[in-house]
Amino acid sequence: MTLKPCTISELQALLTRSRGVDAVSLDAVADLIEHVPGDMTATVQAGMRLADFQARLAKVGQWLPVDPPEPETVTIGSLLADNLSGPRRFGCGTIRDWLIGLAVVLPDGTLIRNGGRVVKNVAGFDLCRLFVGARDTLGIIVEATFKLLPLPEADACLAKPCDSLGQAEELLEKIWTSELQPSVLDLHRIDGGPLTLVIGFAGPSADVEAQSEVATGLRFAGGASLDYDARFRRTTPHFPSVAPADLASTLRTLGDESFVARAGNGVIYHPSAEPPKLPSPELQKRVKEMFDPEGVISG
Amino acid sequence: MKSKADKKDLTRRLAEIVGDDAVLTDEQELVVYECDAYTLQKNLPTAVVLPKSAREVAAIVRLCADLDLPIIPRGAGTSLSGAVLAVDGGVMIALTRMNRVLNVDPRNRRALVEAGCVNAWITRDAEKHGLFYAPDPSSQPACTIGGNIATNSGGPHTLKNGVTTNHVLGYEMVLPDGTVEWLGVEPNGGEEVGGYDLRGAGIGSEGMFGVVTRALVRLSKTPPAFKTFLGVFASVEQASRAVSDIIAAGIVPAALEMMDQLITQALEEAYRFGFPLDAGAVLIVELDGLANGVEQQARQVDEICRQNKASEVRLARDDAERAALWKCRKRAFGAIGRLSPNYVTQDGVVPRGKLPEIMRFIRTVSERHDLRIPNVFHAGDGNIHPLILYDERDPAQVKRALQAGDDILGKCIELGGSVTGEHGIGAEKIDFMSRQFTRDDLEAMQQLRRVFDPEKRCNPHKMFPGAKRCAEFTQKKQVAA
Repeated sequence: MTLKPCTISELQALLTRSRGVDAVSLDAVADLIEHVPGDMTATVQAGMRLADFQARLAKVGQWLPVDPPEPETVTIGSLLADNLSGPRRFGCGTIRDWLIGLAVVLPDGTLIRNGGRVVKNVAGFDLCRLFVGARDTLGIIVEATFKLLPLPEADACLAKPCDSLGQAEELLEKIWTSELQPSVLDLHRIDGGPLTLVIGFAGPSADVEAQSEVATGLRFAGGASLDYDARFRRTTPHFPSVAPADLASTLRTLGDESFVARAGNGVIYHPSAEPPKLPSPELQKRVKEMFDPEGVISG
Repeated sequence: MKSKADKKDLTRRLAEIVGDDAVLTDEQELVVYECDAYTLQKNLPTAVVLPKSAREVAAIVRLCADLDLPIIPRGAGTSLSGAVLAVDGGVMIALTRMNRVLNVDPRNRRALVEAGCVNAWITRDAEKHGLFYAPDPSSQPACTIGGNIATNSGGPHTLKNGVTTNHVLGYEMVLPDGTVEWLGVEPNGGEEVGGYDLRGAGIGSEGMFGVVTRALVRLSKTPPAFKTFLGVFASVEQASRAVSDIIAAGIVPAALEMMDQLITQALEEAYRFGFPLDAGAVLIVELDGLANGVEQQARQVDEICRQNKASEVRLARDDAERAALWKCRKRAFGAIGRLSPNYVTQDGVVPRGKLPEIMRFIRTVSERHDLRIPNVFHAGDGNIHPLILYDERDPAQVKRALQAGDDILGKCIELGGSVTGEHGIGAEKIDFMSRQFTRDDLEAMQQLRRVFDPEKRCNPHKMFPGAKRCAEFTQKKQVAA
């Protein structure tokens, strides 16, 4: 059953008389509540599309530092519930790192808030982290407050085709131990295309220029695009991860299969990936039972 | 633990697990553990145990579960909110003998450490690889990583680097029933972890979910360039305007710290750094990153400070001077001993733009209660640290000091902030929870607590309204009243 409330209070009312809810559309709950540029914070309702949110922030030169595929369709709610990220994850971290406050409607219809609107806050337990990636199974996120960053003055991406995994591995080591501070570090091989290493830099233009020059010295070519990420990831629902040092050896086991890897993070997207194993299953079960004892929300 | 016989039995059974030399039950030995750095409430634990392994911790916890005794995990005892106070007795599990850095893994930029490992030791062992552990609370030469996880510790450099939850990848925790779970990223594992983020849920839980025994932390690359400025201003307002302008220019400094005149004077007297004695406010701005960008931003910061009428903008000449400056800043609380026999500090947070307003409010509070209140704070985060000076021998002053703290934190909530940015609720700020959160918000937190500790036996009587208080505190309150 999909719920389509027009307001947060309607969602509260709907949940109290529903069972087996498997989706909630918050298209009607999509306002920017507050953006305080001087505090570098913003509060937004969960139905707003990420691209719209970013456009509003960009007006004063700020952004929420995440870049998942298809920001035109991704809502703030799904960004959080599915813990979405993109190539800049290496430099910016994930949405968990930028979230400072949440409003959630619990399965019994209660509206709760956790965290707040200030960037540093340790009052009470941290339910914010718990709800990120919980796929809305513990409650429906209706509003979120984020820390923001200034848009980088410059941003550049460079790519280099590699002859072999061994060569890519060698280059990665070189980059890893250098002074370079990439915001993107990807390795991909898509549909029989060349194995390609992608490096991105963002920040003060002087730094981006100097680093791009170093990368050019390593035979990277400028003007690269990150479009491959969104195109490829439509077909990869699951993505395993390994310690970054184990990346190349793991990629070798994939044979000829296509993949996009966040080389700096050790995250690998590929079509035959299995869902990750569930750690601490007993605790996981208890969390769901505690927040949704009646099974109002499926999953 | 009501009777002596019980205590003897408990001592014996604890000693069977950890050995005689790791169990303290004599009152004289226990006094050390009667409070942490928050000294307004004190109470003795029934016993203190000093385990050397997670296996011993689990055995202690299981024994306490059998005997229905509270357990109180403790690191270095540097909490400023009474987070490790044994409100109702119980077995205090001190992790100080489990303090090793087990492994520094430069290739994966991670370190595996025991919970009692001192924060600063991680960077000490990692820096030869050009890496460091980012969260840097002022107590970092003493505080432990387990305690940092419990309080989600920050520090002066959180503005750019984030806090503990952004840097602890995973940890091992002994739950109150004695089971051992690894939450989050496993050693040698990948950073995508399935299911709910139990790791994140437990960070900042103030030791109420279980006893952390090991932690896997993220190491960051040491930036190649630093520039640290000292800006001297006539007033806190002027310095605050400089802070706003720096942020508006799109610069995110590594740290943005402010100290008012009373603090700089005390620091100067204590450490002779060379702070100006007549400045209304001193701003520390630290930029880090790659050389070119830092150079570019340094010119902007210098200009912004001067535009806001800084009487002096001083650049730390070298690493030694920079280190000396930070040493002074981090020892600010220590210098207060020169000004007053006692102080109580708060760590409320306001939206950054409200800093001038909260500073004006603190001045009126200071006048109203006739107490001196020096300020040193993380201006970039809006995280204030008013130090309310009082003399505990004067009951009227104690009462006024408590009221002044109450007034300031109430104002933080009113301005849309929080009553604590770093120190935690602990035993100290329980009364504020129902002012900052609704009953439903608090009940949701309690639900999470029941997942980990259905019997509420782990570090009980903390954080939530209605908790029991120490007898001694009640007495003091009566004296104060």
